[in-house]
Amino acid sequence: MKHVISWVDKRFPLTEFVKKELTEYPTPRNLSFWWNFGSLAGIVLVLQIITGIFLAMHYSPVASLAFDSVEHIMREVNYGWLIRFMHSTGASAFFLMIFIHMARTLYYGSYRAPRELMWWTGQGLLLLLMATAFMGYLLPWGQMSYWGAQVITSLFGAVPFLGDELVIWLRGDFTVGNATLTRFFSLHYLIPFIIVGAVVIHLVALHSVRSSNPSGINLADKNNIPFHPYFTIKDIFGVSVFFAVYSYFVFFQPNLLIEADNYIPANPMQTPAHIVPEWYFLPFYAILRAIPDLVGGVIAMGVSVMIFAAMPYLDRSKIPGGARYRPFYRVMFYLFMIDVLILGYVGAHPPEGFLVILGQGATFFYFGSFALLPFLSKWEEAWLRKKGLPAEVEALLASEQVQQLDRRHSREDRRKNSTETSGDDGNE
Amino acid sequence: MKDDDNPPIDEDRRDFILNTATSVVAGAGIATACWPFISSMNPSADVLSKATSEASLKGLKPGEVKTVAWQGKPVFILRRTKKQITSMETSDGGKDPQADSERVQNPDWLIVVGLCTHLGCVPSRKKDGWFCPCHGSVYDNSGRILTGPAPRNLDLPPYEFVSSDKIIIGKA
Amino acid sequence: MMAMNNCARFIILTLSAMWLNVFFVSAGFATTSNFPLENIKFTQDQASLQRGAKIYYDVCRLCHSLKYIKYKVLQEIGFTKEQVDLLRGDIPISASLSKTSSDKMLNSQYGQVPPDLSLMAKARKHGPQYIYTLLTTYSEKEGVYENAVFPGIKMPDALNVANAIDESLKQEIKSKAKDVTEFLLWSSDPRAAVRKTIGTYVVIYFLILSVMLYFIMKRVWSRLDKEK
Repeated sequence: MKHVISWVDKRFPLTEFVKKELTEYPTPRNLSFWWNFGSLAGIVLVLQIITGIFLAMHYSPVASLAFDSVEHIMREVNYGWLIRFMHSTGASAFFLMIFIHMARTLYYGSYRAPRELMWWTGQGLLLLLMATAFMGYLLPWGQMSYWGAQVITSLFGAVPFLGDELVIWLRGDFTVGNATLTRFFSLHYLIPFIIVGAVVIHLVALHSVRSSNPSGINLADKNNIPFHPYFTIKDIFGVSVFFAVYSYFVFFQPNLLIEADNYIPANPMQTPAHIVPEWYFLPFYAILRAIPDLVGGVIAMGVSVMIFAAMPYLDRSKIPGGARYRPFYRVMFYLFMIDVLILGYVGAHPPEGFLVILGQGATFFYFGSFALLPFLSKWEEAWLRKKGLPAEVEALLASEQVQQLDRRHSREDRRKNSTETSGDDGNE
Repeated sequence: MKDDDNPPIDEDRRDFILNTATSVVAGAGIATACWPFISSMNPSADVLSKATSEASLKGLKPGEVKTVAWQGKPVFILRRTKKQITSMETSDGGKDPQADSERVQNPDWLIVVGLCTHLGCVPSRKKDGWFCPCHGSVYDNSGRILTGPAPRNLDLPPYEFVSSDKIIIGKA
Repeated sequence: MMAMNNCARFIILTLSAMWLNVFFVSAGFATTSNFPLENIKFTQDQASLQRGAKIYYDVCRLCHSLKYIKYKVLQEIGFTKEQVDLLRGDIPISASLSKTSSDKMLNSQYGQVPPDLSLMAKARKHGPQYIYTLLTTYSEKEGVYENAVFPGIKMPDALNVANAIDESLKQEIKSKAKDVTEFLLWSSDPRAAVRKTIGTYVVIYFLILSVMLYFIMKRVWSRLDKEK
């Protein structure tokens, strides 16, 4: 075994890589369990790819057979029901993990310099995930699948000049049809592998800037512990707890998040009384509906997803620690979360009466909170400094400045002397 | 912890036991989790329910052959003439000697899987048996290999006579 | 210790995440029941399933197919091979349960082909209650059948509820309706029972594994406290 490893090491930096990026990879000691959700999202991605590959062995991406083939999987294929429910529940789990992961980033200000690229690659991942989920939802070829795809592809009709042609081009048909199903299947199978690639980029960026941490300051060069065994065991524990919850849904509530209408085969001649997207699209769907204009609504919906990318520039505060040391920001964060839940609720219901007003109000607040942030963060910082920062924060700020100077040097040192890792300067 | 007198050894041991036990439990779980996926690639219930086929023998004259599908494979049903029966019963075949009586339930009917035992091509009917177009194996009217590369006689499917003119091929 | 402190938080977190999901879903469901929900417990016991299967076979099958249920599968609810053979006659055991009337005839009589029932218990919100309520709310007025909860429905009064005058007959029909519903519920998801059995073991397994991993994690992190 030793020989094999040394043979490989002469040709490929295996040991060095494992040491640098895994076993001795310096990680802030004070990470809370909120930092588990990145690895959990990774696990769900793997789970989705594996179950998806096995489902594709039995699924027929043909309009006349798709619905039957899903029932074939559910009834005739050995453990097909298990694999299918793992996949359908996994989609929701994936979004849940990603949303929590994003919420953590927002709360602790992890999107701020120098982690902008992490935030943006994450944003790209979210878009890819949404596209994958949307196309995957068409595959069972139920009523909700069909009309969901019909409505969402119609949104592209809002594109100026090319709209109508674009919609037909996307569908390969005048309505959603067999051609649409086949291409969605093809892309639904492809994009996850692009996601894997994007995750690698996300991780390379992470290992360059290192993990953020609850106190919001760059501890990566200071209070570090090696990733293994401390965070390997912590991540594995998190995965186990996740699986306990996930299994509950897979085995006992698998249909909870599947709309009843999706057990009716797609019928291009009849729209279900009430179309609802999957829960993870509800807030954005509510924003789409809040604007009483097709083009405006589509733009608003697109912006509502993409606006997160602007966070590193909208947040102008220099106070470390995300919401931890920033009372205004913290209040804003919680209000924003509640606002998203309200939008989700509005999105799940028919747009009638009070809900229309509520949806428009919540949409206004949604964008308003982003618009307010640059001013809020400045006022807040001024107010905090006037009031006198807690000694803790002052210390963090001072060391942050020192570190920013130091970091460049220490990086260069490390590069020169790659066997000596920064893991051993933890706990000093 | 109560055993403070001798902590290092005891704690190491406890760690070891805990780690081993957890590894075993986790390993068993991962191994078990593989099973549904492996199993899903086996024939599904609807495929398995095609394990048997019914075949009618009605209208087949002596000397005539009929091909029916069983589990997606061709099965040759040959109604043999008196002359064919006697000539088959007096010979033991060629490369893979076997008595004709071991190969038929009723000497009038020869029922064999129509796949050459060499590489699985479907042999074509010739006057005195079958000839495989792929590599030239020759079988007699008992489905026994005479010459050519095939190693074995044609396989015999499990079958039973439900009535004088109806058989069920395969095991239910 | 930090890990311990946060563990509780983590569990609360996952649980609340779970409830968040439930919130969204129940939010989607709450408004949409357009019929009164009767509080009936569907137990999926074999006797009831078999009675329901027979009622389906004698009554519903006239117009409704059950295309995802094959004769062979009926053995899963306790019918013997002989009973199934008796039901199917000459039809192959791997064939699905089809309706006995032709589409053409049904189309001319009702203006549409009645839906397949295999997934009915899942294809409607509160599916089982939907089926049960539908079957038991027929009434008759001067020879015209009407359904109080689903007005304008094309389906006739299959169990003859409208003419059940005395209470005991009414109860009998209600229990018949429940049996059919049980059977259709099973048909919509024949793997539900085995799923729940396996699920119990899987969830227990992960809970045990989580506890074991938790202790390992505690031990590993305690090394740091010691170094301090």
